[in-house]
Amino acid sequence: MLKTIKVPPHITEEKLKSLYKEMWLTRYFDEKVDQFFAKGLIHGTTHLCVGQEPSASGSIAALKPEDKITSVHRGHGHCIAKGADVNKMMAELFGRVTGYCKGKGGSMHIADLELGNLGANGIVGGGIPLACGAALTSKMKNLGYVVLCFFGDGASNEGSFHEALNLASIWKLPVVFFCENNQYGMSGSVKEMTNIENIADRAVSYGIPGKVVDGLDVIEILNVTYDAVERARNGEGPTLIEAKTYRWKGHSKSDAKKYRTREEEEEWKSKDGIKRFKELLISEGIFTEEEAKQLQQEAKKEIEDAVIFAQNSPEPSLDTLLEDVYA
Amino acid sequence: MSERVITYLEAVREAMSQEMRKNEDVFILGEDIGVYGGAFGVTRGMIEEFGPERVRNTPISEAAIAGTAVGAALTGMRPILEIQFSDFITIAMDQIVNQAAKIRYMYGGKGKVPMVVRLPGGSGTGAAAQHSQSLEAWTAHIPGLKVVQPSTAYDAKGLLKAAMDDDNPVIFYEHKLLYKTSWEVPEEQYSIPLGVADIKREGKDVTIVATGIMVHKALEAARELEKEGIDVEIVDPRTLVPLDKETIINSVKKTGKLIVVHEAVKRGGFGGEIASVVAESEAFDYLDAPIVRLGGKEVPIPYNPNLEKAAIPQVPDIIQAVKETVRFK
Amino acid sequence: MAHEIFMPKLSSTMQVGTLLQWFKNEGDPVEIGEPIFEIMTDKINIEVEAYEEGILLKKYFHADDQVPVNQIIGYIGEPGEVVPDESPGIASDESTDDASKEESSSTEATVEVVDNVTSEGNLENEKVRATPAARRVARENGVNLALVQGRGPNGRVHEQDVLDYLKGNHVKATPLAKKLAQAEGVDLSTVKGTGVGGKVVKDDVVSVLQPATPAVSTDVKPEAKRVKLQGMRKVIADRMVQSKNTAPHVTLTTEVDMSKVKELRASLLPIIEKQTGYRVSFTEIIVKAVGQTLTRHKKVNASLIGDEIVYNEEVNVGLAVAVEDGLLVPVLNNVDKKGLASLTTEAKEISKLAREMKLKPNQMQGSTFTVSNLGMYAIDGFTPVINQPEVAILGVGRIQDKPVVDNGTIVIRPMMTLSLSFDHRAIDGAPAAEFLTELKRVLENPYELLV
Repeated sequence: MLKTIKVPPHITEEKLKSLYKEMWLTRYFDEKVDQFFAKGLIHGTTHLCVGQEPSASGSIAALKPEDKITSVHRGHGHCIAKGADVNKMMAELFGRVTGYCKGKGGSMHIADLELGNLGANGIVGGGIPLACGAALTSKMKNLGYVVLCFFGDGASNEGSFHEALNLASIWKLPVVFFCENNQYGMSGSVKEMTNIENIADRAVSYGIPGKVVDGLDVIEILNVTYDAVERARNGEGPTLIEAKTYRWKGHSKSDAKKYRTREEEEEWKSKDGIKRFKELLISEGIFTEEEAKQLQQEAKKEIEDAVIFAQNSPEPSLDTLLEDVYA
Repeated sequence: MSERVITYLEAVREAMSQEMRKNEDVFILGEDIGVYGGAFGVTRGMIEEFGPERVRNTPISEAAIAGTAVGAALTGMRPILEIQFSDFITIAMDQIVNQAAKIRYMYGGKGKVPMVVRLPGGSGTGAAAQHSQSLEAWTAHIPGLKVVQPSTAYDAKGLLKAAMDDDNPVIFYEHKLLYKTSWEVPEEQYSIPLGVADIKREGKDVTIVATGIMVHKALEAARELEKEGIDVEIVDPRTLVPLDKETIINSVKKTGKLIVVHEAVKRGGFGGEIASVVAESEAFDYLDAPIVRLGGKEVPIPYNPNLEKAAIPQVPDIIQAVKETVRFK
Repeated sequence: MAHEIFMPKLSSTMQVGTLLQWFKNEGDPVEIGEPIFEIMTDKINIEVEAYEEGILLKKYFHADDQVPVNQIIGYIGEPGEVVPDESPGIASDESTDDASKEESSSTEATVEVVDNVTSEGNLENEKVRATPAARRVARENGVNLALVQGRGPNGRVHEQDVLDYLKGNHVKATPLAKKLAQAEGVDLSTVKGTGVGGKVVKDDVVSVLQPATPAVSTDVKPEAKRVKLQGMRKVIADRMVQSKNTAPHVTLTTEVDMSKVKELRASLLPIIEKQTGYRVSFTEIIVKAVGQTLTRHKKVNASLIGDEIVYNEEVNVGLAVAVEDGLLVPVLNNVDKKGLASLTTEAKEISKLAREMKLKPNQMQGSTFTVSNLGMYAIDGFTPVINQPEVAILGVGRIQDKPVVDNGTIVIRPMMTLSLSFDHRAIDGAPAAEFLTELKRVLENPYELLV
């Protein structure tokens, strides 16, 4: 049993180990994608969440399988945490027909509806009202699931954010609004673009609870999210959670990061959430350093296999161009 | 066939009510649609019958309610979204254009968004520039949406049923001035397939393709022209996307002359699409006169009633266009 | 402000009036209502009263002058007011009678027939305006759109035009004939055409319209129409008599092989049309040839004035133009110095003005030679009457394919008869013959015109 930490009832030691591996899966995935973009082997652009793995894995671990998420353009971590098949993810980024969206969506539009991932979204704040709709379905049909809605600090300034929070609060929709504040929109720092210290403080305007968490502390995120999710499931309405975190890489591949300092980056990197989690689990006696390393290697291998899978997958044929516009 | 006559407004309400009685997944959301009955009275009485869960009065948040409709549709519901004035679609555009229209395609054929967006549009009530537009050309331009524009109560009820049954986002344009017009409408549920035009009047001298309220103006013009021996055929597309090209093309092949009339601004209006479709088709070889488009002037709708009327095509404009077109018969 | 005095239109049919006499001189005072001049029209003699009062400042025309209706013939105003030296033309914008317009366009059309009949350009189809429906029907039936008269703007051919063409075996008719037929409900395909190439002209339609048989009652003799000889008719009558009575007319004829002219015309047609918008006709080429030849035959370019033969330096060719019930001769000046493009433009424009009765007096004066073209009719040679004070006039007949002998073989050539009447008082047969011979040579070697 756990010595010092408290976790929600459904979290087992196995789950905690798998969370560790999962975060490495995310980190290796995005690192790999970064390399391929740099080599010009992947098309378009992408938005990497290296450094933010804890907030994705920690929060989604609080969910039940039937719960759903809506994600953002920087959503690989959410996708993997919700149980995605990294082969299909990698294939999608390579534009192959074996990808999640048959190569037609790309990084920003990966969805796995069966697993409850309602999709990443290319519009900042675009998924927030959508999450309300999914929550509405759960409420109207008494399906009992909760929607965990991710968005960033930039989205919290979009009209859709405010409209959605208001609507969810008046209808008491089973949705948890999870803001991953990584300190920057694209280049706009949250300090210059927002007039308040904590985005979670905006919860007051909507009469819902607002909670600030350390975005690099898996356990804290897990617990806070779990409380919010259960609150929603009980019909008490939404919560606004803000996880303070940091993305190690630029906004997208074409970002020279002129808007922040190297010192700042180094400071955040030194607080690496995955490393802290490993140390925590070791101190709890959940695994050893070697086991940890092995899990990390497994994650690495899975990503390398995913790359091979993707590279060997066929391109979509041209006649799929006109398919699937309409149901 | 029933001889019962009801108004366009009543037909829309009836279509929704009959479907909601049958299918629990269908619900309406919109502003002031509860006890107020909707800005135009379309939903009057519905909250009393179906309750506040299924007739959801929303805050003034077009982005949120549009997105909510999308999310609900994506997860198994069949929402009907009422946007109070068609002009307010602008605030909901991201959810309709970037989310609803694209989800299925972006997700590689998974997921569907079976929602209907109902919008009352058009001028003539003195509501002025921001409450009188006809913007159907915008939505007709977006792959993934379907766009419907019924002109009569009969068409409205049948097309709305088809729209509700469709698994895709359907944009349903009503016209404020048509709400009070009446037509024979069957009592039972019936569906008019999307993408099928209706020949509202058969004729041989010229084809008028008209939408929405212009169908009625064209009919009036046709009655006048008949006195002078000019026989007008009026084709009402009913659905803009997908467009029933065949009916239009066949009509133009028959008459050799085409006039397209819509209330929306002529420039960039859907009439250009129809004219081009005809010009690109085999009907081209049967054209015996230049194609003419009649549409709104390039101005925001003015407040003054005479100016308001002058801003859009009226019956005399249609008559004149027909006469000029058949001049070289 | 000086007030215009103009030739009044005294009847709906009046087009020209003859000024008989002025009752006032320049500088005389005039009161409102005072008669200031007397005119003769096709119907009556009449005294014309002044509408304004003042001093008669200027008279532009004199006794016996023929003046078109509405032409300004003088000014009344304050003494010392400045008025133009020449009549500025028509006083008001009143449009001329429909009838005269139609007739003139029919004449224009008949002149054009020479062009259409002889050149069926393939280029035409490319430039023909036609609706898609018309093109389809034409295509399906092998119809050359250039031959179809179009009812649309700019002559655009519509489907019905092609159908009519097919039905009526291309009934070629003058616009006037068509208009009349349409107005009277006559099916053109039933009308026999007496114009060139069987073209239906107005009179053909009229003859169809006239009561079929006068035999309503055999007792009643049909009344003959009586028209007094006056106005333009009288003037023409007088001048013809004068010419024939004073000038001993001798007419020389020759036949000209027009093959090379036809070639020349065909190649220049698109060029000149592009340059000027007008289609060069044979008349203009003939006039140019005449002009050049006259420079080498000064005797034929002379005028007999009083008892003097004036050898004119300029070569100004008068072009006889038929107008309704009459004849006008507008003048093309300095023909020898002008290129075919400008000659064509001038000829077309001045002919149009003539038919519309809008010629200024100076445009009808100063000719040194006249060309009269009856080639649009079935005429070969004829005996044209000299236009005094000129000493010669050239009559032009039709161009017709004939068998001729060339180098011992019989070939078919487009032949045209030229008839040169000359005043034997001023010229003799030999110089006249020399001129005509050379004219023939120039026409048979038209590239010489470039030299």
